[in-house]
This record gives sequence, C-alpha cells and structure tokens, in this order.
Amino acid sequence: MEERVKRIMAEILGIKQESINSKTTPDTVKEWDSLKHMQLILALEEEFSVEIPDEFIDKMLNVDMIFSVLRNLVE
Amino acid sequence: MVQISNLTDIIPQVREFENTDYYEQSTKIYFLRNFTIEMIEPYLKYNLYSNGIKPEVIFGEYDVINQELLDPQSNLHKVNPEIIILAMFMDNFVPELLSSKDELIDFLSDLDEQFELLLVNTDSLIILNTFIPSMYSEWGIASLSHVSKSEYIICKINQHIREYVSNHSDRFFLVDWERLIRILGEENSIDYRFWYSSRAPFKNAFLDLYSREITKIVRALKGLSKKCVILDCDNTLWGGVVGEDGLDGIKLDKHSYPGRVFFDFQKNLLYLYERGVLITLCSKNNEEDVWEVLDNHPYSLLKRSHLTGWRINWENKVKNIESLARELNIGLDSMVLVDDSPVECGQVKQYLPDVTVITVPQKLYIYPPLLLRDGLFDTLNFSSEDKNRTQMYQSEARRKQDQKQFSSIDDYLASLELVETIHPIRPGEIARVAQLTQKTNQFNLTTRRYSEADIKRFADDPDAAIYVLYVNDRYGEYGLTGILIARFEDHKCILDSFLLSCRILGRKLEKVFVFHCMKEIIKSHNISQWQAEYIPSKKNQQVMSFWEDMGFTLQSKGNGIKKYSLATSEFKPEQIDFIKIVEE
Repeated sequence: MEERVKRIMAEILGIKQESINSKTTPDTVKEWDSLKHMQLILALEEEFSVEIPDEFIDKMLNVDMIFSVLRNLVE
Repeated sequence: MVQISNLTDIIPQVREFENTDYYEQSTKIYFLRNFTIEMIEPYLKYNLYSNGIKPEVIFGEYDVINQELLDPQSNLHKVNPEIIILAMFMDNFVPELLSSKDELIDFLSDLDEQFELLLVNTDSLIILNTFIPSMYSEWGIASLSHVSKSEYIICKINQHIREYVSNHSDRFFLVDWERLIRILGEENSIDYRFWYSSRAPFKNAFLDLYSREITKIVRALKGLSKKCVILDCDNTLWGGVVGEDGLDGIKLDKHSYPGRVFFDFQKNLLYLYERGVLITLCSKNNEEDVWEVLDNHPYSLLKRSHLTGWRINWENKVKNIESLARELNIGLDSMVLVDDSPVECGQVKQYLPDVTVITVPQKLYIYPPLLLRDGLFDTLNFSSEDKNRTQMYQSEARRKQDQKQFSSIDDYLASLELVETIHPIRPGEIARVAQLTQKTNQFNLTTRRYSEADIKRFADDPDAAIYVLYVNDRYGEYGLTGILIARFEDHKCILDSFLLSCRILGRKLEKVFVFHCMKEIIKSHNISQWQAEYIPSKKNQQVMSFWEDMGFTLQSKGNGIKKYSLATSEFKPEQIDFIKIVEE
C-alpha cells in the first residue's frame, strides 16, 4: 500500500518516487500547492475506492499521514 | 456508459505529450471563471493532445471576469486566446438568490451585458455553459402544487443562454452542463466537500466529460471532423449473416431483440447522413444479398440511395478502404470504420492507422448511440452544401462512369461543360467559407483555419477581399467549392489563402479561378506586386508547385515554407477554353 501511495504522489506531484520520504511535505515540494493537494486526494480516492472525510484532508501532508488515514479507511 | 479516465493514468501521459515536439495543430484556451476550475487542466490537455492538438491553457484570476474583460492591460488581453471559456457556476444550492421576477430579469440582462463585453472586447471564440438545477426541490413533495421556484428560474436562465448562443453562432458555442449532469448524475458530478471548502465543485468524472465536450468544439474548429463512415454489413448493420440466415433470418426488426438495436443504430446513421456525412459499405458478402436487405427489408432504414460508395466483395478490407478513399478523393484520416470483426478491425488499425476504427461492442445495447457520442463527425455549423453532399458524390460517380468513353482527358473535361461562377463573398456565404477553411486539407496552399468571425472581419475590411467559386457541369452542381482570400498593402496584393474542395480537383478549375480573381483585383485596385505562399502540412503536397505553375517566382524557402512573388507586368494568364466563367 505504501508503494501505491508513493507512486500516486510521484505522478501527481511530478517528483521521483524514490525521493519520497516522511520529510516530503508541501513545505519542501514547491509543486505541492492547494490545487495539487486536491488532485492528490482525488487520485488517492480513485486508487483505493474510498471517500476521504474532509477533516482528514488537511492533515494528509506527508506520506506517513496519508498512509495512516488510508489504512483506517480501507480496513 | 462513458469510460472516465483515471487521473493517475492521464497526468503522466500529459507529461509525455508535452515532451513531444510535433503537433499539426495548436490552440490557446483562456478560462474566465467564478469558481475553482484549475483541476480540469490535466483532463483538457489529455483530450486535446490525444486529438493531435497542442493546447496552452490559462486560467484567469478567481471571479474577476468583468474586470479582465474591461481592462485593456489585463492578462486576458495580453494572452489574446483563440478560445475563451466563460465557466460560470451558479450557487444554486441557495434558491433564495433570485426571489422576484424582476431580479430574474435583472440577472438575465447582466448576463447579456457580459456576453456583449466578450463579443466587443475580444476576438476569441467563446464557450458558455448552462447552469445546473438544484437536486432537491425547496417545496419538497408538495412542489407540484407550487411552481418550484429555483427549478423555474434555472430553466429560464438556461433557455436564455441557449438562445443567445444560437443567435450568435459565429462566435459563441455551448457546453450544456445540464446535459452532462443528465449523463453522469449529479451525485457523480458535484463534490460538495471541495465546493464548500475550496469552491471547487466538480468531481473528476464531470471534469473529464466537460473536457471532451470542449475538445469536440476545438476539433471541429481545427478541421479534424470525420467525413465518411465505412460500414461492414453482417452483425454491424443487422444481426446475423445474410448469406446464411436470409432476408427473413437477419435481426433488424424493431419489435424484437436484438433487431431493435440494429434498427436504432441505422436510425442514428441516418442523422449523420442528414448532416452530410458520407455513408459507404465495405463488407465481405455477395453483393445481391446486401442489396436485397437494403432494397427490400421492411426495417432497413438505410437504403441504396444513402450510399456514396461501396466495396462488397471478398477482397482484403485494407485494399478496399484505400480504393474507396481514392474514389471519394478524401483522406484516410477522415474515415471511420465500423465493423464487428476484431480481426478485420485489427488489420485496418495496423495497416491504415489514420482510419478511426470502431468495433461493434459485445454489449450490443450500448451500440446505437456510439457514432453520435464521441462527436467524431461534429462540425461547427451546417451549410446547404452539407445536405446535398451525397447527391454531389453520386453525380461524381456517374461522371467517372462516363469518363471511360473518352480517350483523352481534355476531351472528357470538354464534355463536362464546366461553368465557374465567381464573385466577392456575400453575407449568406460566411458560414460555408469558414467551414471550408476549417475542413479543406489537400488543395490548400496555406491551411489557415478561420472562424466565421474571422471571415466576417475580412469581408468588412476594405484592405482585404474574399472571392468564392461555385462550379457546375452538365451532371449537376458542386456548390461553393473554392475560396481566395487576398490582403492589400499599398500596391501589393498578398494572397493569404487559396483553396479548393477536393471534389472539384483534376479539372483545371483552379487556374481559371485564380487568374480570374487576379484580373478582378487588378481592375479594382492599383496592384503592382503579388505575394503568395506555400505552407506545407501533412496533406497538401499536391500543391507544393502550384504557384510556380501559375507563373510566380520563388523568392525564398525555409522550414518547407515557400514564398513567391510576381509583378503585375509579368502576369500572363493562360487561356482555358473548355471552362466558361460567369460573374454574378
């Protein structure tokens, strides 16, 4: 699951999948603006067939947080 | 049954498209909007690139539409886009917005003012949208005993927008959001979460479909509309195999399944016929079996008279399609094959990649609207030539038949009794002239595509002239089939565009037309010098030496573009006796 998340982040943000770690955040990736964030959320929802409640959306700002939100939703 | 593209699939593809250099067509699109629409970008780019059009997509500032239109320094005017999309989302979740009839009237007149601003302050083509009615009635289950207010209001506004577009069809186009919502359903279209948090109301499915509708308009504008459908017969026009099942055994009866699927498919085919799309057959059958169905089956809507050509034999389909293209004198890339055989479809895809191939779907019930859904044949407007096209091609077939009696081509051409009618453009001809600039590929010296608004501007400009050509012969009329656009600078005349429809080629008409126009221009303007150009495209190689043949001198050549000049004193028009000229 973590690899799928990284792949989607890489594709949407246009960065290298290997470069993604827990320090990859909107503060360190300049392409990661609010629009890209919405796109990322939509792409994750598409990939995992879930709907992410809006209270989590603003917290999904690095791969660990995204991963933990999705794991809770998928399970 | 719309297949929506995945965002994670298309974003990398768009990156790949953007790294490819060569595209025949390009466009610049500017969004004027009152909500967050940026997320459409990957879908729009994906759909346009997939159709061979390189897009530039620019978003205006959030909700400052009138300021951008009014301020001559605004980004909109700096960008000067080919297309403006006025994307307006009405906050119709609050039906109290317009509470009285007067407020509605005010709102409509505000809309009109905005449309007028677009018309006057820009040169672009404009795409509008309708508004989306609210999902639930504010009067609940009792709404029928009240006139449900918001439904009524949105209905009135949408009607107003549709009428405005249809009255300004030279500049305005519509993507009917209300229809898109009918296709997808509101629950699949609206993302209330992002609407409330970020003013971004649309789900991916809606953005994808919206992009496809925009792409249909751009494609038609760029002359990429398909012109001809090639149909297989068994299990394509009817169910079953006529050679085995016989006239009574095939499935085409509208009172049974799957007969009614094929009946409906034929019904949609006839809509295309009405629009001027050429209908042809290419199938492996005994010819008389096919005619038996078309002539005698009570539910065959398609008749022999609808066809412009056919190849009904046991030969290779690739060869048959190539020879149909030659007979009709159209490019393979303007043809669409519909066939049920995956093998034949695969062969055509492999050997004739320019032909668009549609395989009859396994799920037969999605088959009938397929040819309409994707807008492959859509054109921006209809002209009277569209309606008569099939007759024109049928006269052409008779000409070809008779041609065999003549030993020399000149004898044959003389026997046609060709007449050219040439005059400066008239108001009723603007739509057709624009359409010809958009659709003509082969005999087109510069391939400049013009909208109706562009043509109107040329027509009104005292420093420009447009001549149109009508051709007829003893077999019938070809209609408006040639255009010359000239611009004047002091004593110089620049031949901006010169093109002829493919159905009149090979008759030396082009020489007579261009010489006559030049003579007319010399009569009315003091011209000492002429300039002309050949701009290569994928399809216009046949005219690469046209200006040399007309006596022009090559001045320079770069990037394949050839520039020519000619002094009026050197102008020696050749006399061609077998073509008569009429000035009207």
